[in-house]
Order: sequence, then structure tokens, then C-alpha cells
Amino acid sequence: MNVNVPKRELTGTFVAKLAGYLRALRNLGAAQSRIDGSRPLLTAAEFQEELAVLGLSGRRFEPEDYSDALGEYLNISITVHVIPDSWYPELSRLLAISGRLGELRYSEQFNMAAIFVPGSLPPLVLTLAILHELGHLAAGDLLIEPDEQADEDTRDSEETTFETLPLKKGKKLARGCPFARESLREREANLRASYALFAGCLGDDNPHAYDMYDVL
Amino acid sequence: MSAAQHQALVLGGVSFVAFIVFLCFLVPSRRTRFSVFAACNLLFVALMFGAVGLIDLAGGRAEIMVAVMTELPVVLIVAWVCLALGGGLPSRHGTLPAEPVVRRPWLRAMLGSAPLVLLLSLGLATVVGLVWPSPAMRVYAPAPPQFFVLKGLIMVPEGLYSSVAAVVFVMAGRAPGLKRRFYFKNLAFSVGMVCIAAIALESTVFAGLRVWFSGGDRRALLEVLNTVEACLAISCILAFTAGLSLRYTPAVATTLLHRLQTGWLHAQEQFESLEWQAVSSGAADRLMHTSNAVVEACRIRDLSQSDTQKALATIRLVAVMRDPSSEAQHIIPDAARKLYELQQEILCDDVLASKISWAAGWRSRAHEPQTVKSAPLHDALKAALDLVDNHGESEGPRTPPLWYYIVAASAADTNMIDPTHVSMQLRDGPEHRAAVEAYDAAKRALRALEGDN
Repeated sequence: MNVNVPKRELTGTFVAKLAGYLRALRNLGAAQSRIDGSRPLLTAAEFQEELAVLGLSGRRFEPEDYSDALGEYLNISITVHVIPDSWYPELSRLLAISGRLGELRYSEQFNMAAIFVPGSLPPLVLTLAILHELGHLAAGDLLIEPDEQADEDTRDSEETTFETLPLKKGKKLARGCPFARESLREREANLRASYALFAGCLGDDNPHAYDMYDVL
Repeated sequence: MSAAQHQALVLGGVSFVAFIVFLCFLVPSRRTRFSVFAACNLLFVALMFGAVGLIDLAGGRAEIMVAVMTELPVVLIVAWVCLALGGGLPSRHGTLPAEPVVRRPWLRAMLGSAPLVLLLSLGLATVVGLVWPSPAMRVYAPAPPQFFVLKGLIMVPEGLYSSVAAVVFVMAGRAPGLKRRFYFKNLAFSVGMVCIAAIALESTVFAGLRVWFSGGDRRALLEVLNTVEACLAISCILAFTAGLSLRYTPAVATTLLHRLQTGWLHAQEQFESLEWQAVSSGAADRLMHTSNAVVEACRIRDLSQSDTQKALATIRLVAVMRDPSSEAQHIIPDAARKLYELQQEILCDDVLASKISWAAGWRSRAHEPQTVKSAPLHDALKAALDLVDNHGESEGPRTPPLWYYIVAASAADTNMIDPTHVSMQLRDGPEHRAAVEAYDAAKRALRALEGDN
């Protein structure tokens, strides 16, 4: 994933900060961050809460519906480009060599995100690759300041909570802040993708969908 | 026996009967945290009222303490319900808020504040009562204004939070497309909370009458209110019992879903993506020509698109399994067998097998979505294992389809597998010969095409 951050003029800094504070105030609760600096990985139940915010809980939906709802909620334009191999034969090869299945580009300036995936991916992998990149948008992984990204360390990954980072301005769907470690951000994007696939397939047969109507 | 003792015995009796019902019927059949909590609360209430009924308290701060203790279980129930609705109950896996609360952060914050506000109010009421004692347990005795303050401090927040919870339950029950059982369940809880709110209102009015009403009908009016309170308490317990007894069992169990998410989906995604990487990065070099020949042979034999896809997927799998230098070094027969078994497990569950599907392309509704059964990988895994795994239990399909023969001919021709093994397995029958002929013709056609280019 790549983030294009616009260069701001010094005069605009104060206004931008003020706008950021106002936006944060407006989003209070909807994207309420845990500011304790650590949290566990996303659970299926927490993902269901995100789906409820998007109005997709208990409904069957396609990745397109998830993308549209997420874009509407985040107020950004999300486009998915499935590139046929005949257009750019090298794309699949380059992505495959680098061990990636897709690419997410985000422009803060134009308020838009673009996902690029090769058309030669098997259908299930294509679906999961798109949902994975959408998961990064939902988590707010793109709102991390570039210099705040923590180095990968070798701590035991079995620990229950992991360090998170504060965010710059912007809106996210997840309640928790993004993880400091990139490997965990990737892992959580994978989790979101698998939760989304099953939730979309099962609709009202998803056992988590009814937890919100059976709280006692 | 004084009127207060009589009233306490009635409420204690109701609570005890409710506790027995919870213990014998609800808790064993549906052991939620709330049902256990409610049962403990009912026992506590029964004991408290029983003690009050048996011991004739008169004046002093002891009356205040007993009055506050009898209110505590109800306050705790309201706080628990509000926390549960707001998703604030502590849990290892996190608890979900009620659906109407998810999109209303202010409502969530309000419900989350319930325990703090309610317990603070109760504490404040206790302080007021201890500083200015009043005949709290003598039900029909005139009371000073501070008694109204004491009651108001407890009842106003309790009534407010109960009303909010009742409204949230109604909103949750009215969600479109919700199963009928959940509608009635939420309705029952809503009725229970309305009863608690009504009891709070009735208690406040009762306290006001004791303080300011001194007419001849005072006693009769207070008795009527006491009866109303007992009826409301019974209705509340019945409503909660009904709500808790309405159960719903989802078609797909949570544990099974978790196993599929972490097991099957992870395995299939990793398998397919590694295979794609191996093929796309050119790690399995010899595959390109072979797969083209297989596709052409399928075309010559006029096979369907679905069979051609299966043949293509199989030859790819055989190629990457037989190429230890490729990036798909994790694609080994053992992993393939494990994935196949997971797929079989899904296919044994009709609901899951029919529901788990994924689109064949982005914004492409023209093609049927793929399922575990219809995706080429399922048959390809079996076929590839039959061809590659000489030591496995499998002895190949009993009546292999033509695409299987074409793949076998291709894999043997390119030495991906031992040709003698193929001849033995397929017994060199007419289908095998037809497949070999088609494959040879396909190779010739491709060579001619390359020559022309």
C-alpha cells in the first residue's frame, strides 16, 4: 500500500490542524480510538460491529457492496482496477516475484483510494486480495504518519495485545488504532478479509449477526 | 405484623419463587451470564425482603440501610442491562452492543455511564438517609421531605436508564428482516424494563404521597400503589423469564465458522496464491507450454469450459508440486490432502456448502459465483493427488473423466510424473488412448502455430 501525502504550505498548517480537531470531534465515538496504546487482534464479533455501522450486518453482500459502503462511510472514492494480464503482462510477474497479490494507493489530496489487482488471480484469491486492501482502509492503516511506523521487532507474537499508533487526521471504521508493527497490520487485514467473505456469504445465517439482537 | 413487613414478605416471596424458576428451568437450559446474575440477584432480594419481613425494624439509620440494600439488586440489574446494551460488559472476546446502539455513539456513552451514575446516586441517597434518617421501611407512616429526596435520588436515574433500555430493546426488535423470535425476545425485555421504570415512577409518587398527602384516603391510596408495585414486580420477572427462555440456534455454529476461517479459508487462499505466484513468476517454467497443450487438447475433444478449467488447474498443481525449486515449495501432497479433507468437511454440511461462494470476477455478475464444489481446485486437488502421490491410499478415480486422462497424458509426456505409473493406473484403455491422441494433436497444432509465428 502506498500513501500520497500532499505537501502543505506553512500558512495552511493551523487551519489543517483545526479542521483535523473538528473532524475528530465530529467522529467521536464512530471511530473512537483506544488510546491505551495496545489492543488485541480484531475478533469476528468486533468486525460484525463494523458491518453494522456500514449497514451490512445480517445481509448477504458482495465485496463491491462492502467497498461502496466503506467508501461512503469514509467519504473517499474507492476504485478497484482488475488489470488483465494482456494489458500489463509484467504486472502479475512483478507482484508475484515481490510476494504480493495487490496494491493499494491512497491519495489524501484527492480523497481517493485505488486498488490494483491482476486479473489472472484465481477468483477466491482475487476476492480476498481486494477485501484485504479494503481492510487496510477500514483499519485506518493509511492514516499513520510515515515517520511513526515502528520497526519490526522480534517479540513473541503470541501475546494478547499489541502496540498501536496514534493517527493523524482522517476517518476510519475500526474502533482501535492501527498496529505499530506492519506484520500485524497485514495479519489484521487478512482477518478482516476472511470475516468479510464469510459474513457476506452467510448473511443472516452468520452466528455473529444476531449477537447484537441477543445481548442478555 | 406491620404493613411494611407484610409488603416485604410479599415481595420476598415473589422473588424467591422467581429464583426457584430461574434455578430449575432457565439456568440449566440457557446459562448466559445475565441469567446467572439475575438468579443471584433474585436470591439476594428474597433474603433481604425475608429478613425485613421477619425483623420488625423501627426508626433509625438501620431502616435506611435496609431500604438501600433492597434497592441495590434492582440498581445492579438496570446497570447490567445498560452495560450489555452498550457492549460494555467485560469479556475475553469482546461483547457486541445492541444493533441500534452501534450507530449512535452518544447512546453508547449514555448506556455505558449507567453503572457509575446509578451507584453514585445510590451512594448519595445513602448519605442523605444517614444524615437525615427517615422511616423508610414503615410503608404507610408519614415521612419528612428528605425521604422524598432519598427516593428521588435512587428512582429518577433508575427510571431514566430503564426507560432508555426499554426503548433500545424495542428498536432492536423492530430491525427489518429480523427473525420473529428476536422480535419477541426484545419485546419481552422491553416490557421488563418498562416495568422497572414504572416501579421507579410509582415509588417516587409513593414517597411524595407519604411526605405531602395527609387526606383521609391516604392509606387506601398507598395500599393501591403497593399492590400496583407487586403486580409490576411480578410482570417484570415474568417478562424477563419469557425473554431469556426464547432461544435461537444459528444454522452455522460459531466454532465451526471459526474453524473454517482459520482452517479451510486460510489453507485454500494460501494454496491458490502460492500456486499463482509460482506460475506467474515463471518458477514453474515448463508449465506454460504444457498448459497450452492441455487447453488445446480439451478443445479438440470438445470438453466444456468447466472441465477445461479443471484440467488446467490440475496440470498447474502437478507442475508446482513436482517443482521443489519453485516458490510454491509449501504446495506438497500433504498440504493438498489436508485442504481436500477440509473441503470435503464443508461439502458434508449442506447449509455451508450452498452458502459459501465467491464471485468469479470483480463487478461481474454475468458468471455464476464459485463454490467449494464448483471451483476447479476441488476436483483438481483430488486429480493431482491421484497422479502425484504414488504412496497414498488413493488408486485414482474409478471412472475418470476425459479431462483427467488428458492431464495424465500431458504430465507423463513432460515427465512431471512417471509414465509407467500412468499406464498402470489408467490401464491404457480407449479413453486413455483418445486422450493421448488429442494431446499429441494439440502439441502438433501448437508447434505449427509457433512455426507460423
